[in-house]
Amino acid sequence: MKKADNHKNFKTPEGYFEGFTDRLLDRIATNESPEKGSVLPKSDGFGVPDNYFEELNAKIKAKLDQDETKVIKLNPRRNYLYYAAASIAVLVLLTIGIRISRTTEPTFESLAKSDIEDYFESSDFGFSTYEIAEVLPIDDLEVSDILENQFADEYIIDYLDENLENFEELNLLNDD
Amino acid sequence: MIAEDTLVDDLRRPETQAKAFEVLVNTYKERLYWHIRRIVLNHDDADDVLQNTFIKIYKNIDGFNGESQLYSWMYRIATNEALTLLKKKSKNMGISDAELQERMVSNLEADVYFNGDEIELKLQRALATLPKKQKLVFNMKYYQDMKYEEISEALQTSVGALKASYHLAVKKLEAFLKED
Repeated sequence: MKKADNHKNFKTPEGYFEGFTDRLLDRIATNESPEKGSVLPKSDGFGVPDNYFEELNAKIKAKLDQDETKVIKLNPRRNYLYYAAASIAVLVLLTIGIRISRTTEPTFESLAKSDIEDYFESSDFGFSTYEIAEVLPIDDLEVSDILENQFADEYIIDYLDENLENFEELNLLNDD
Repeated sequence: MIAEDTLVDDLRRPETQAKAFEVLVNTYKERLYWHIRRIVLNHDDADDVLQNTFIKIYKNIDGFNGESQLYSWMYRIATNEALTLLKKKSKNMGISDAELQERMVSNLEADVYFNGDEIELKLQRALATLPKKQKLVFNMKYYQDMKYEEISEALQTSVGALKASYHLAVKKLEAFLKED
């Protein structure tokens, strides 16, 4: 009986086996792609101005430099002048302020909740919710800190009893 | 290409910071630009968001904890910046997100930096109808050819959920494009 791998009468194109894996993987990827034969266009038609990417580095650097110059320390001599001017301004403002302060002054407590929510909604803090969640001391929070309406314990127990399959598995401690 | 760890170290050291930042911008500017552009659609907004993204990365590099890869952290910042801009726009204009999306697509017709044909414009109209996550996943997978694992890290969503989102997005877009 002849050996199964005796194939001296057959030939393959040069480099056939070397590129076989890549060709096979490409074919699998194409076949698995959900958009094969799809009506979806391959490009989306967006363009950019000429040399935009080449000039981007310089634009960002200029913006950064602009930001940094805002926090450059003033030299000591000029500081004296600024301190003197600031002191006079503070005195003047205090004098005026004392007179005006007899009228109502906004405090944190006097802010409407909707204003605070609106501020959080519209302001860009530069943090994602994930980043805020990382620093929020969740361990110190109580449900009552978040909810305005308080739920009595028996309502919570009733709710869990009705909505959980194995209420007993919760192993609730009975303080009574 | 420079290794991410080395790049982050160089960005944190004052003596190598400037050079490293240049490398960072050159390496990621195009990828981040196209990611942002497909969210905000017009070039001027994309340019603003891209610059702000890089400035935020530069200023907050010490806050990068290395738990995820640098590019996925940057994608997250870029995505948040772009979505925040859209939110601000709709709020300032007093319109809903959906109305804003419609207006953005209508503006494309007169946009000098949009050379799309009828079908590409129709695709943008279709994309405007998708939920935010599906739109993001579709653009990142279809146009940016990102792997699910990369998208998963950038959007902090499981690979399974992303595959489902992509599949749904493709089906909806195809159905929309086949309509007369």
